[in-house]
Formats: sequence, structure tokens, C-alpha cells
Amino acid sequence: MVTINYRSAEIKLAESVYDPAEDSYLLADAAVGHAEDGMRVLEIGTGTGFVSAVVQANRKVKLIATEINPYAAACARSNGIEVIRTDMFAGIRKDRQFDLIVFNPPYLPTSEDEKVPGWLNYAFDGGIDGRTSIRYFSEEVSGYLAPGGTILLLVSSLTGIKEVSERMQAYGLKTKIVASVKCSFEELVVIKATGHSCPGEQK
Amino acid sequence: MKKDLMEILACPVCKGDLILNIEKEDGNEVISGTLYCPRCNEYYPIEEGIPNMLPPELRE
Repeated sequence: MVTINYRSAEIKLAESVYDPAEDSYLLADAAVGHAEDGMRVLEIGTGTGFVSAVVQANRKVKLIATEINPYAAACARSNGIEVIRTDMFAGIRKDRQFDLIVFNPPYLPTSEDEKVPGWLNYAFDGGIDGRTSIRYFSEEVSGYLAPGGTILLLVSSLTGIKEVSERMQAYGLKTKIVASVKCSFEELVVIKATGHSCPGEQK
Repeated sequence: MKKDLMEILACPVCKGDLILNIEKEDGNEVISGTLYCPRCNEYYPIEEGIPNMLPPELRE
């Protein structure tokens, strides 16, 4: 069995589950940087559980994760993550709020003939423009964000960083790029989004 | 899943409250059982500690 050790976390990998790559490391580092002890943390689409496991290994947080792929959900659980098998936020109560919400979405622009077979497709397929999951996420996420809470969203230059930021701003979120790395054919960034401060409140 | 995950879980269809039926547990962990939505009259299985909150047509 293949395992990865990173920042005091040990993560087992599995068949039909996205292997942690540059995007996962970038997001895990950003998540540890923003997580504080005592926070309620939600990861959407956790895959192997890599990002969540790295956060849990470095911060005393109350963390849950969602995942649609059954192989990935089982893998994440084997890595010590409290995982719910569900589509994005579907199985989570409307009135539940989290201090930190982390998402490494399927962000690759994908046509019908570029889809990969089976559950693994959920890890890559961002629809024709790469932003299908991100649109849904942007629409829903504010309802689950605690006042003063933070969203960390990983996207690629292939997805359209400006378009994603504008989409989140359209839902009243403030956005800022807090991490980036250049890979062979793309740039990966972490977009930090926070709720607007109340009228009259200085930030 | 831990029993206190019930504070977070909702029916994925109507977002209503669920009723937990435990078949197998280990301390605070529910290993298998079901989550029942009375409004939708639908059962969501818990298997090997993972609640499966997918609508029935998407379950494997």
C-alpha cells in the first residue's frame, strides 16, 4: 500500500482515488496556515483525505469532510477523517456553520470525450469551462460559513482565476489570492474568500 | 461516524432532520445502521462508519 508522509500526517492512497499532487500540497499548506485550534473545519470533496489529514495533524480542529466517490470516502476514513458520502453540501444541515471551508474542486475544462471512466471522473471534470462545480460551490458556500469565517478554494489558470474570483464576489464574498505555484502547463492558486463585513464596520 | 455527527447531517433531498438507527456500534462510533428521513420516507445507509447521503438513484 502506498502512503505519503507530509507535515506529520501519514496518508494512505487507494485505487480509483485522486493521488495528492501539487494542488493538494498547495491547499494543505494554505489550510494549515489559516486553521487555528478550536475551529470548525469543513472540507468539500476530500479525496484521500490528504488536506484534512494534514490540517488535523497540525491543528486541534473539529473537522468533517464530504466526498462523493465511495472509494475515496473509504480511503479518507482509513486516514482518520470523519467523512460523509454526499454531493458537496447536500447531506449537511442548512443551519450548520464552519470557520474554515476548504475545497480542491474538479477544475479542469472537460469535454464529453475527455471524461475518465468511473468515479475518478469526479476528481477532474469541471465541465466545459472547468467551473461547473465551482459555480455550485459559490452559490451554496455562504450559507455554511460562520461570521468571520474563511473559504480556501484551489483553482488553476486553466479554470480562469479572474472568472472564479468574480463569481465569488457576485455572491458578496471578498477574494484574495494567498498562495500560488507554477506547474508545467498551468498556474495553481489558492483563492481566499471571506464574507463582507457588516455596513459601517471597519476592516 | 461519531454519534455527534447527527448534529450536522440532514436529508440531502429535503434538508430535514434524520432519525438514527444503529445496527453496530463501537463506543461513540456508529459502524453500521441507517438514517431515516420521515418526511421523504427514505433510508440512508451507514456502512463501515460512513453515512451514505446520496439519493437512492446515485448509490452504488
